Amino acid sequence: MALKSVESQAPRTLSPSTDASERELLERVARSKDQAAFRTLYSNYYQRLSRLLARMSVRREDIEEVVNDTFWVVWTKAGEFRGASQLSTWIIGIAYRRALNALRRAKIRPVSDEPFDEDSVSVASTDDAETDGQWLAQGLARLPVEQRMALELTYTLGHSCEEVAAILDCPVNTVKTRLFRARETLKQVLPSLAGMPGENS
Amino acid sequence: MSPRIPDTHAEAWALLPWLANGRIQASDREWVEAHVAVCAECRAEIAAQRMVATTMNRDSSPESNETDEQRSFNRLWARIEASESASPASVASGAARTSRSSRTVRWLAAAVIVQGFGLALFGFNALRNSSPTGEIVTVATVPAQPRLNAPAVRIVFAPGASIASINTLLTHQGLTIVGGPGTAGNFTAELSADAVASGASADSVAAVISRDPNVSFAQPVAR
Repeated sequence: MALKSVESQAPRTLSPSTDASERELLERVARSKDQAAFRTLYSNYYQRLSRLLARMSVRREDIEEVVNDTFWVVWTKAGEFRGASQLSTWIIGIAYRRALNALRRAKIRPVSDEPFDEDSVSVASTDDAETDGQWLAQGLARLPVEQRMALELTYTLGHSCEEVAAILDCPVNTVKTRLFRARETLKQVLPSLAGMPGENS
Repeated sequence: MSPRIPDTHAEAWALLPWLANGRIQASDREWVEAHVAVCAECRAEIAAQRMVATTMNRDSSPESNETDEQRSFNRLWARIEASESASPASVASGAARTSRSSRTVRWLAAAVIVQGFGLALFGFNALRNSSPTGEIVTVATVPAQPRLNAPAVRIVFAPGASIASINTLLTHQGLTIVGGPGTAGNFTAELSADAVASGASADSVAAVISRDPNVSFAQPVAR
């Protein structure tokens, strides 16, 4: 049986060739403080990190600060990257840890402790796709930040389980458990998931 | 030893997200696919997870634009420069590294150093005549000291930019180099009084020259 992946819909993680070209950019930063190379790297990650941080509930006004703190580290520590992981794993991992610090500073609780009440969810749209998006947004908001990040890194950024573990700095089995729980929670929230028929293709 | 071939529903279930996103490890793909082929529950779950992934990607349209990104980068760069200015040793070593990276940058750096010691030491004509092509004249004729509160831009020239093209660019924009190179190979250039009188500002000139292929980066200097 051929199983269709979500590759066609999801922005993918860096291919090996892209990773190699980004490593070259980082080497230029480390070797000669090459600003053009640094600017290109920044541009490659700005949107990805901004979206990830928004998903982590980092306040809009803090997102730029976290992105720039991350690239401050990239600028100052470029020479210390040893290449044991993909460059994207290193950079996104830095952003994740900086974001957790920002959430602590802002005293933001990134998840509600209250049990989910389906009646409390307001979904105004009648468009199916838009409705799914609204349900999902509210479902994601109910997840602990670690579970939300595991989902985001897997489905939006297209990372492997091992890469997600490296970014979140936890064992592979912990990533599997977080995604397992996230999937179960979303099924309680998303009507279309709860009633999902068998594979439709 | 033959590879472990788990065939349990629970283990396959845990790996379905990476089967769905195409990033499951090669060593797991075969047995997970074999399990899914005979497990209706896992096939339904794959379909459900595809829907989650599709919806998450549809829902995650970027909210920022290129202007936001440029503004954000400018703030970061100003922070880096401020930090490195506060650390003379790092600036010196960084400048040394950067100044070796490009022949053009070496020429510009030499011109600025000459200013620092005073053009009188060499004599303007001697400096001009020493250049076989006369290319350095524009750079070398800048005033020895920056003018107080003169509008200025910070510039990093493209690695392949020639001295002639840089001279042309500076002349057309009424710019004169008054400092550099910084750690990242950046120079500070001031607008001439004539350029300011004709309506040019640091913002407008930075915007224009940042689109020039001879320039990697340009931003107004806050004064």
